[in-house]
Amino acid sequence: MEQKELIEHIEKNFKYKKEIKVIDGKQFTITVEKDKVLNLLSFLKLIDFKQLALITAVDWIDEKKFEIVYILFSYSHIQQILVKTFVDRDNPQVETVKNLWDVASMYERDVHEFFGIDFIGNDDLRPLILHNWKDLPPLRKDFDSLKYSNKMFGKFKKDEEI
Amino acid sequence: MVKTYIFRFLIAVLTSIFMGLLYMGIGRKFMARIRRCYAGPFYQSYIDVIKLFSKNSISHNWIMDFGVMMGFAGIIATVVFLPIGPFNVFPDMKGNIIIIMYFMTIGYLGMAMGVAASGNPNATIGIARALSLMIGYEIPFALSVILLIFANRSSLLYDMVLSQHGSFLNWNMFRYPFAFAGSLIALQGMLGEQPFDAMIAPAEIASGPMVELSGKFLGFGFLQHASQIFLETGIIAAMFLGGGTILGFFTKQLILYLITLSIAAVFSRYRFEDAVKFFWIIPTLLVLLQLVIFLA
Amino acid sequence: MILSSTKELKDKGFEQILDFFRKKSLWMLHYCTGCGAVELPPTMTSRWDMERFGMGPMATPRQADLLLITGYLSVKSLKRVIYTYEQMQEPKWVIAFGSCPINGGIYYDSYSVINRLALYLPVDLSIEGCMPRPEAIIDGFTKLMKAIEKGEAVGYKKYKENYEWYKKNQREVLERTTPVL
Repeated sequence: MEQKELIEHIEKNFKYKKEIKVIDGKQFTITVEKDKVLNLLSFLKLIDFKQLALITAVDWIDEKKFEIVYILFSYSHIQQILVKTFVDRDNPQVETVKNLWDVASMYERDVHEFFGIDFIGNDDLRPLILHNWKDLPPLRKDFDSLKYSNKMFGKFKKDEEI
Repeated sequence: MVKTYIFRFLIAVLTSIFMGLLYMGIGRKFMARIRRCYAGPFYQSYIDVIKLFSKNSISHNWIMDFGVMMGFAGIIATVVFLPIGPFNVFPDMKGNIIIIMYFMTIGYLGMAMGVAASGNPNATIGIARALSLMIGYEIPFALSVILLIFANRSSLLYDMVLSQHGSFLNWNMFRYPFAFAGSLIALQGMLGEQPFDAMIAPAEIASGPMVELSGKFLGFGFLQHASQIFLETGIIAAMFLGGGTILGFFTKQLILYLITLSIAAVFSRYRFEDAVKFFWIIPTLLVLLQLVIFLA
Repeated sequence: MILSSTKELKDKGFEQILDFFRKKSLWMLHYCTGCGAVELPPTMTSRWDMERFGMGPMATPRQADLLLITGYLSVKSLKRVIYTYEQMQEPKWVIAFGSCPINGGIYYDSYSVINRLALYLPVDLSIEGCMPRPEAIIDGFTKLMKAIEKGEAVGYKKYKENYEWYKKNQREVLERTTPVL
């Protein structure tokens, strides 16, 4: 399907509140409520968006919100959809999608490690990349990386000072 | 009497190590020139050995010590039976080729014991490959030995050398060219050069048998390899190139080694089961063809 | 007293002779995490031909004399580098490539990359640059060789003497139990 037909199809068949925004000829975003994400994703999977390319998150610290982005790709439509949803920053929780795509389990581990977002239903949220991490999740905007680095690994000093 | 034997034994062993290291150094230079590099000086191998013996080394248990020593001793014990040109350590023995073939495996077995005791799985994989490869190249080599034993009615290397005296056209290399070709391929496998170097494969199993050897153990491994080069090129030189004077013998060995290296320079690596299959088909058929021609 | 001093003198002379051979045959193990790994192949092969100095790549830490840290080290890989270093047999040396192991380089504010390698391992020589060209690498190697010949490259002895200090620094990073900030 062309992008226009695709958007019309989604508008017609997916009744919940949503906001569709076209980025360019090959990709567009759909923003939905947090509890309708699973419905939208399973609907999109049905219309041949079979590949989950990435799950990632954006920290909007001023609005006190995390934006969670699911990037889907379809080989038959040659279209990319960015499904976006917002969760509360103080209580970041969202349903897992690992039952739709197995690979989501890994991405959710990653997002959990770097943003501290909980995925309800995913019981395997062990640390994935960082070694022995005890602080705030490092990709949150209120985490001061430079301060951490200086305190943890030592500020650069000249040889005489050591 | 015993003293002279010990003296002659020492001469043979030291010669094998000295010349083997020299061949290795020249070989490295040769390989580097093929790749348009310069490499170090030709005495680089001696420096390496001295450095290795000056390093600390770690041993995991006494079997490792013992196995590495046994590997080295096995090769030395074989060198004793090799007639180095006209020089024989035991003048009465005259290099029985069957004893040599039998003793040659002891070096590998000792090495296998030592490195298996080191406890690194890569070492075990490497030595298993080396021993499997041995099953491969022993067959064409043993067949060409059988051919020469038939031809000379004797299993002594000394007699084989004697029968090739006179013009160089008497060399077994020209009399039995197919067998020579087969043995040359077998030599490639014996020395573990490409394409038959699946046992050391540095990028894949981290240099195989040597993976856990450090300092003096690696030094012994180095010396063993040097003696092995001397021994195995020596056997082929005596069997097919007519031995000769001491200097001539050394030259023939070096030429054989350089031929091996120039083959190695242009080939990549066989998987070891493919290598064994290759040994059982091409060189074996070559030698068998020669055997049929000889018997017909 | 006299006996011990003569023995020391003899040992020293002997070590000097051995140092000559050690500097002529440096086998290296390269820990390729960073971009410096790219500069090594031309250094090894025909263009710059490192083998002229008797140097060559080795496959395992047991066989190697020289550990090359080619670039930045994250905390996770620091742990592996320490394992590797302690598996190597003495005498052994460490060369740090580029600015990342000196002061963090472009990763100076990263939460996962260490800033100064010398706190955790005894670095004998740092080659600066981002990344050092093969000429700089060869220059660094020849400097290390000179230092070895003079008996100045004694990082492994320093590591043994100040073992507690190094271990304390390593533990601070690797086995922390409390948050930093």
